Amino acid sequence: MTASALTRPGERDRLIVKFAEIDWTFCLVLCLIAGAGALIMFSAADLSWTPWAAPHLIRFSIFFVMMIVLAMCPLRWWFWSAYPVYIVALVLLVGVEVAGDVSKGAQRWLVIGPLRFQPSEIMKIGLVLALARFYHGMSADSARASWWLLVPAALIAMPTLLVAHQPDLGTSLLILFTGVAIMVLAGLSWKFIAAGVGSVMVVAPMMYFFVLHEYQRKRVDVLFNPEADPSGAGYHILQSKIALGAGGLLGKGFGLGSQSQLNFLPEKHTDFIFAALAEEFGFAGCFSILFLYGAVIFMALRIASISHSHFGRLATAGLTATFALYVLINGAMVMGLAPVVGVPMPLLSYGGTVMMTVMIGFGLVQSVRVHRYSEVSSGRGALL
Amino acid sequence: MSEPTIFFSEVNERQGAFTRRAFLLGGLTGLGLTALGGRLVHLQVLEAQRYQKLAQSNQFNFRLVPPPRGLILDRDGITLASNRPNFRLLVSREADMDVEKTVADLAQLVPLDEKRQARLIRDIKRAPKKSPVQVMEDMSWEEFSRINVRAPELPGVTADMGEVRVYPFGGAFAHVIGYVAKVNDRDIKAVTDKGLTVDPLLYNPGFRIGRQGVEKAFDLELRGKAGAQKQEVDAQGRVVRNDPEGDIPATPGKEIRLTLDADIQQRALEVMGEESGAIVMLDCRTGDLLCMVSTPSFDANRFVKGLSTPEYKALSEYERKPLLDKAMSGTYPPGSTFKPMVALAALEAGVDPETRINCPGSWYYGGRTWRCWGRHGAQNMHDAIKNSCDIYFYQTALRIGPDPIAKAGRAFGLGQKFQIGIPGQKAGIVPDRAWKKKAFARDPRNQIWFPGESPSFGIGQGYLSVNPLQLAVMTARLANGHTAVTPRLIKSIAGVDQPHGDAEVDLPYPREFLEYVRGGMVAVANDTSGTAYRASQLGLGDIRMAGKTGTAQVRSFDKAKSRSSASVRWGLKDHNWYIAFAPIDAPRYAMAVLIEHGGLGGGTAAAPRAREVMRVALLKDPEIRARITQPMPMPELDETAPVEGAAPEEAVAGPPPAQPAPAPPTTPPPTPTGARR
Repeated sequence: MTASALTRPGERDRLIVKFAEIDWTFCLVLCLIAGAGALIMFSAADLSWTPWAAPHLIRFSIFFVMMIVLAMCPLRWWFWSAYPVYIVALVLLVGVEVAGDVSKGAQRWLVIGPLRFQPSEIMKIGLVLALARFYHGMSADSARASWWLLVPAALIAMPTLLVAHQPDLGTSLLILFTGVAIMVLAGLSWKFIAAGVGSVMVVAPMMYFFVLHEYQRKRVDVLFNPEADPSGAGYHILQSKIALGAGGLLGKGFGLGSQSQLNFLPEKHTDFIFAALAEEFGFAGCFSILFLYGAVIFMALRIASISHSHFGRLATAGLTATFALYVLINGAMVMGLAPVVGVPMPLLSYGGTVMMTVMIGFGLVQSVRVHRYSEVSSGRGALL
Repeated sequence: MSEPTIFFSEVNERQGAFTRRAFLLGGLTGLGLTALGGRLVHLQVLEAQRYQKLAQSNQFNFRLVPPPRGLILDRDGITLASNRPNFRLLVSREADMDVEKTVADLAQLVPLDEKRQARLIRDIKRAPKKSPVQVMEDMSWEEFSRINVRAPELPGVTADMGEVRVYPFGGAFAHVIGYVAKVNDRDIKAVTDKGLTVDPLLYNPGFRIGRQGVEKAFDLELRGKAGAQKQEVDAQGRVVRNDPEGDIPATPGKEIRLTLDADIQQRALEVMGEESGAIVMLDCRTGDLLCMVSTPSFDANRFVKGLSTPEYKALSEYERKPLLDKAMSGTYPPGSTFKPMVALAALEAGVDPETRINCPGSWYYGGRTWRCWGRHGAQNMHDAIKNSCDIYFYQTALRIGPDPIAKAGRAFGLGQKFQIGIPGQKAGIVPDRAWKKKAFARDPRNQIWFPGESPSFGIGQGYLSVNPLQLAVMTARLANGHTAVTPRLIKSIAGVDQPHGDAEVDLPYPREFLEYVRGGMVAVANDTSGTAYRASQLGLGDIRMAGKTGTAQVRSFDKAKSRSSASVRWGLKDHNWYIAFAPIDAPRYAMAVLIEHGGLGGGTAAAPRAREVMRVALLKDPEIRARITQPMPMPELDETAPVEGAAPEEAVAGPPPAQPAPAPPTTPPPTPTGARR
């Protein structure tokens, strides 16, 4: 297929052409990360496909196909669905508030029939779509500094507060940072950014004393001195650091990590899977995984920068920001640099909801790549 | 709401702004990833070793393996203290364990009454994690297997086989060997007070520490060193697997061999019957203690389990004091058994042994009447020893004064503590002028030695007090004739021969003096008119025994009352002594027998028992046995034999009570060796 052929009208809408336009390197990296996750789960389950490794791979395969299908969707479909998805997610968040299922002391789950899911995950996609759509029809000047900015601020604030009230501090911060990242990418004035950073510096310590729950405050405390409460609040961080450090340069070897095999490492297949990986594959394994994550982020940002539509750019960059935040927050938590919040390592950790969110997000990213030359109308109905 | 209108230039502006910001975001993410990488280098490269150690201490636990306690053997290797298997039931607290339910489940399997259950629940809850609490010990095999079958469903419950101390001879060696008992806070404190770290064994359930005698004095030698079993455990503390390669074997305690002889000791305990007293025997050539019995005794095995309060009360309140080791911790006036020392001192002081002193039965001196237990007539030193004449020794002691007598006593081991390896000896008192000055430091008028105090010293009364061990040593030195032998109790530790605790010196008395005194003692036991003639016949032909009787007074006599002890209550009766050695021609065994409040003279209560024990020792000796072609039966004893009594210290007015004259022997003296009946 020649470049001239692609300039023919309608040529780019052919499915086979679209399929070829998918970034297959990107897909390969995703498969590598998910495969590594399955490998560690296989080891952590005492060399068994059950209960984690097989479901993890099956789930990933399903979501991978879904990602490809989503990549075929024209960009305008995403554009049209942006506000409805956001509103549905917001309604569900309110629903959780009213009739959520309490799990581990927090209302996060909503049960509708056989489905049991966290609306906050849908909101991660919904917010990015809604903000991208909103900025799509906005001039650079307005995006820099105008009263219009109150709209994205409100779009961010509502889900952030609702999720924080569940309480799920990790996801709420993730939503907040993602939203702020999109505002910054859209061209927010440096004055606002400086003011925001400044106020966070002031508000964060106050949050610690007045807003955080007792158990959340403890998690922050142990960060600075995990040995103070080695069997209580400091246990997770301490055991995770032991697993990491004990891995050394090359690791103890596949299936030989005592910290994970003997259950000293808590949540070894979910939030702390990175530590389990570190123990068995050492610095070499950790570095490789971090490199793959870096590659995903780099490739996604590249896709964002080559998109012709502002909506595609912002949506892709926003989803990349979410993904990067996942990686950085989980990495910092596992390494004892951040308090323990329930943020998994995307694709590596066991868990269907987060994987679904991430793969839907990457479906959108691939769609943006496949449809990078198409513009989305910013005409009527830009706001709704 | 007006619709924003976007122009082409603005689109480019928006794209430009986005690209710059995207670069910034990408840069920030890269920075974050780099920071994580740096942290990984820190944890996994720089501090890897530290975390590897922490991971190992998570992964492995070392379970203490208690060492078997060292055996205690007699001189021939007969076991005096060993260990027997003990099936124990232990519970260690685990995370989120329902203690009440576990104890209730256990009560279905083994007998546990309500009170015990409540106590167990408290103990288990209070015990530190992973430190097991003993629920039961000495379970039957059925109980043990029942628990083992159910153990997998009962988290924290284990049934294991430990060892517990056992003393096959029960009470025979209880005072010498002592016993082991549960570790208490004072034991822990005793270790920490010395600035030492507490052996973790002491915290092991079922561990016993030496409490008395050899068990206490050689506790560290007997204890051994704990081993460890390397176990891989999971986060809940459950054992995942054992790692035999990482095991550290326990070092068993050292074996201790005593000089005691189980046969002699057993016989001594038997012949003492219900009497309160002590028998000490030693080899007078080497000083090895062959027998050291104190009666009544107690079963050391009961102490291993732990005595109940009523049991302990019964033992501690019994007037015959079973818990006291009378052989070395009890001091008594030696009475007439001390007379050989006085004789020796007199010989040394230049007294002519052939000079006769008349014994009319009493002697008036210093405003009081000093009585003898008989009317012996003119006595030389030899006769005075044979007849145990008090008048002779009153006057001789008065003549030479206390210092030479005390010197003789000390030279023969009285007033001395011997280094035999176990604690608890009481030195007693050997009085002389210097001692009196010190002892009465607060009473200046009483500091000088009054001549009136010498006569009672001369018959082994007054301030003088000794323990049976000292008297046995004294006898051994007399029998030995030239060396001041010292006693030894610990023969070897882990096969290494143990030296005597005290230096052995030559006796500072000429051999002929000792020979003379021994002659007196031979007469006591072999001259038909000797005080213990009939009770000293061994029936072993020319293997004969020499001895000296003694009666030590424990009360002052009322003027009106009879000196006879027959009618007074047990606690006021006189002590009976007999010291003896055999054979007389080449002495090997020396002994001292004490019968507390035996009542009658030393010849009736103590001497017959001495002869029984002596016979066992002699017949066990292969060289002695070679000299005897056929032992004769021991002659029958007549219980109404004459008795010797101690003289009162108080002046007694009026004539002394009549003493029966020595009865003529009813059986002929033993026939010479080799004779047939």
